[in-house]
Amino acid sequence: MSNTVLADKADKADKADRVGKVDKAAVKARRRKTMGKVWPNVVALLLVPLFLFPVYWMFSTSFKPASEILTKDPTFLFTPTFEHYGSATGVDMFWTYVRNSLTVTIGAVVLALLVSLAAAFAIVRMKFKGRKGLVLAVMMAQMAPWEVMVIVMYLIARDAEMLNSIGFLTLIYFVMVLPFTIWTLRGFIAAVPKELEEAAMIDGCSRTQAFFRVIFPLLAPGLMSTSLFGFITAWNEFAMVLVLNKDSEAYTLPLWLTQFQTAFGNDWGATMAASSLFAVPVLLLFLFLQRRAVSGLSAGAVKG
Amino acid sequence: MTVHTQGAAPVAKEPPPGGPASGKPGQGVRGKPTRPVNWLPYVLIAPAVLSLLVFLGYPLVRNVIISLQQLGRTEMISRTTVWTGFSNYTDLLTNDNFWTVVVRTFVFMAVNVALIMVIGTLIGLLLNRLGKKMRLVLSLSLVMAWAMPIVASATVFRWLFDTQFGVMNWVMRELGFEGYEQHNWFESGFSTLAIVTLLIVWASVPFVSLNLYAGLTTISGELYEAARMDGASNWRLFRSVVLPMMKPFFLITTFLEIIWVFKAFAQIVALNGGGPDRASETLPVFAYVEGMSQMSFGTAAAASVLTILILLIAMSFYFRLMLKQEEEQ
Amino acid sequence: MKRKLIAAVGAAAMVAGITACGSDSDSGDGGDKTLTIWAMDGSAPDAWAKELNKEFEAKNKGVKVEIKVQQWNGIQEKITTALSEDSPPDVIELGNTQTAGYAVTGGLADLTDMKSELGYDKWNKGMLPSTELDEKLYSAPWYAASRVVVYDKKAYADADVKPPTTREEWIAGLEKLKKKGDKQPIYLPGQSWYVYAGLLWDEGGDLAVEDGDKWKGALASPEAEKAMNFYKELQSFSTGPKDADEATPQQSTEVVPKGDVASWIGLGWEAGGAIEAIEKAGDKADFGYFPIPGKTAEKPGSVFLGGSNLAVSERSQNKDLAKEWLKMATSQKWMKKYAEATEGALLPNSPAAQVTPAKGSFAEAMVESAESGHITPITPGWANVEADPNPIKEYMTKVLKGTSPSDAGEDADKVITERVNKS
Repeated sequence: MSNTVLADKADKADKADRVGKVDKAAVKARRRKTMGKVWPNVVALLLVPLFLFPVYWMFSTSFKPASEILTKDPTFLFTPTFEHYGSATGVDMFWTYVRNSLTVTIGAVVLALLVSLAAAFAIVRMKFKGRKGLVLAVMMAQMAPWEVMVIVMYLIARDAEMLNSIGFLTLIYFVMVLPFTIWTLRGFIAAVPKELEEAAMIDGCSRTQAFFRVIFPLLAPGLMSTSLFGFITAWNEFAMVLVLNKDSEAYTLPLWLTQFQTAFGNDWGATMAASSLFAVPVLLLFLFLQRRAVSGLSAGAVKG
Repeated sequence: MTVHTQGAAPVAKEPPPGGPASGKPGQGVRGKPTRPVNWLPYVLIAPAVLSLLVFLGYPLVRNVIISLQQLGRTEMISRTTVWTGFSNYTDLLTNDNFWTVVVRTFVFMAVNVALIMVIGTLIGLLLNRLGKKMRLVLSLSLVMAWAMPIVASATVFRWLFDTQFGVMNWVMRELGFEGYEQHNWFESGFSTLAIVTLLIVWASVPFVSLNLYAGLTTISGELYEAARMDGASNWRLFRSVVLPMMKPFFLITTFLEIIWVFKAFAQIVALNGGGPDRASETLPVFAYVEGMSQMSFGTAAAASVLTILILLIAMSFYFRLMLKQEEEQ
Repeated sequence: MKRKLIAAVGAAAMVAGITACGSDSDSGDGGDKTLTIWAMDGSAPDAWAKELNKEFEAKNKGVKVEIKVQQWNGIQEKITTALSEDSPPDVIELGNTQTAGYAVTGGLADLTDMKSELGYDKWNKGMLPSTELDEKLYSAPWYAASRVVVYDKKAYADADVKPPTTREEWIAGLEKLKKKGDKQPIYLPGQSWYVYAGLLWDEGGDLAVEDGDKWKGALASPEAEKAMNFYKELQSFSTGPKDADEATPQQSTEVVPKGDVASWIGLGWEAGGAIEAIEKAGDKADFGYFPIPGKTAEKPGSVFLGGSNLAVSERSQNKDLAKEWLKMATSQKWMKKYAEATEGALLPNSPAAQVTPAKGSFAEAMVESAESGHITPITPGWANVEADPNPIKEYMTKVLKGTSPSDAGEDADKVITERVNKS
């Protein structure tokens, strides 16, 4: 088989093809049972609003005039307003928080990808003493209850004079997402046929070259989908940054999100606007990567 | 390995048994035989191992050390160390509340994971049966729920279930239920955890469904067809085709969901702070409340050590299962 | 946790301004000192703080004062960790119920030597106890405030009810309002524990009492039961939630402006917030105020005198400057300006700085009840009791939902006793 064919395999085109097959099979099956044609669609139609409603309600509240938010009977039709977005982003140093959040998140994810790639490659393709132990450690590291280790991390940061440091926070987030990233990448690497690498090496590539020329391109979708999870974890993190970074210069967006619930009442409009702004990057990323994320994850996650 | 390969990489379809890595595990590549002592893997894993040691291993050790101290407001500020031996542990282990929390955590976890896996699987199977358009619509709505950041979705759920202006009270009234004028959804620990469950299931089901569906697409249509020809019922089909093919998927997903639900923290804290009357606290929340709000950092550390131990014991069976899986590779 | 208590006055509008005053800091006069002040959300009126800092900076060349506004929510953890650091904020505002808890840790600078400089003798006697521990001074009182009953004048007139002076009159008036039927006579959620504490002090009881050299919870006492029964009676006139405090939902901005509340119990800034919210919606608020009625007409009901103190952190890098700033901020001159800026809705630290409240104002009713001001038990462990989950709140909800006061009291006492003796 040629490289192109194999490359295609990781590609969605191939998947779509298979989907088609399943469809055909399913269609035949359905002809037998007309009932079977109706109910899946009915159930799906019922499920869609269930999953969408909270998201919809978040956006809709964020555009509602204040007077129509605090009503016992909700309004569904209203003249949209951007005032809540104004008050949400009008907060002092909003752009600092955005920058900090992007820095820690992207920093943590990129670091995790690089480190994991090396480790996962070793785990999948090499034999060495302690390999099994490492796999076990990675598995267990996923269980680390970070929220309850906040004080310990605080003490460590305090002693190392690393409080209010975006760099230190990035490192913590990096380690938070590291185990899952190794775990998932391992699956992706294992999915790349070894023969490819061997073929490349027979053609005179060094092992490093083989890795970068052959394996790495095939891994790209996997890397992207893996980064999604790291992105979400770091983007969301709240407990650690709350205790470690008291200086508003070093705040991240999750802290900003909670500041509209003050002694002066919950500003639900601003809170929802902030939630929307906070969620949009992740939503977009997901929509953009979802196909790959899903097919990739089944490659990653499915491979126990 | 062969099994998982089918779950994901298309490769396995063509050369069934001799798939990619079905040979001896991770052996040196042909043409470049494994050296007696190969330093390369160690170099490759070094950064990962080092970071885990420094940022996870060391804090864990330090956590154990703190759990043997009395570390409250005074000790924290004056930076004094007061050793108290195992008293934090004995206090916890003899505390009825602690055991209530342990039991609650496990019940909560079991219910959530069961719901997530069952509903997730059903929706995954449903996706597989839908037409193209409907499938796209459902997938998109699943992706939206999946992608919502926890901090945002917890806030949104609090708003949905707000006593005064929450839309859920309105929905209940519209549906004709009585007693939903300013109904407080967070009235008891049970109802609070029910809402937390709703939030967690809502956010976790998409992960299971979409991945299951992606896996299902790799099961060849002929296989279904053949089974159907044999007159297999849906249930039979699931049990004898889907389940065995997707076994690794179910294994790893359940594992992840157990961990994720067990560690669920932001959801519980954001919805009702573990209340009312501490009745919705699970182990991580309990440790956090003890530590942060009561400033008993020693007790909290002990609670977190116990949390880790309990989780390890509970999962040991799983680890063995997954390591076995590992060996097959 | 007493997040909401304090917060400044009427004008919730100024909140927006306050947050802004931390930001003009980047000018940096080249390696000079910055004095960091932690003030709570709503404590320091913007204009006042700006003027004060300007004068301070003029007096101390090369010093930049930066006020960082903090939220009450989660403040204890934040202060605890901050005080343990090498460069903590130089001056910290502490709730008066929490001050002792920090004084005992050694994290606050001893101000005993400055007593006369600070004007110790002129301070409001009711605010003094919380600033001291074991005869040492750890903070200077800043301001205090207490709750009064806020009522809708029109609703009261419509039902022909006059501001009461005794509990009997109060209940009778509420009955009348109830008969009238168009508004809830009083809005009182089930966990308004500072209100409950006032009723308890009226009965001669307390939340916790000294027991040898320790403390113990006292909610299983007959006094606590009597107080709770009266609270229950009051609460029966309200449709407010039995298991939430006045901040969830925020009574001033989310409940009262809806217009179906004839009266409620709140602080000055809450009244201001409600007025603002009502006006924003295009209506007009016409509020009257009266002190919480006592058992007899002679003396108004006891109230919790909440407030804040200013303290210098022991590890401050600029201790002398910090002390200077604290001295200036709490001086009579600046406290007078403070009282003016807050329109008398917050009591300044000395009677001399007080402004005469306007007739019929919130401040008037508050000053009237100030003589019955009390504070929570002064012991380092009290801060633990208040921390969420607060056993007093749980006690109240349980009783309101039908548990016997003595059973609920015993449960609560167990928790209170355990927490109050922990430092």
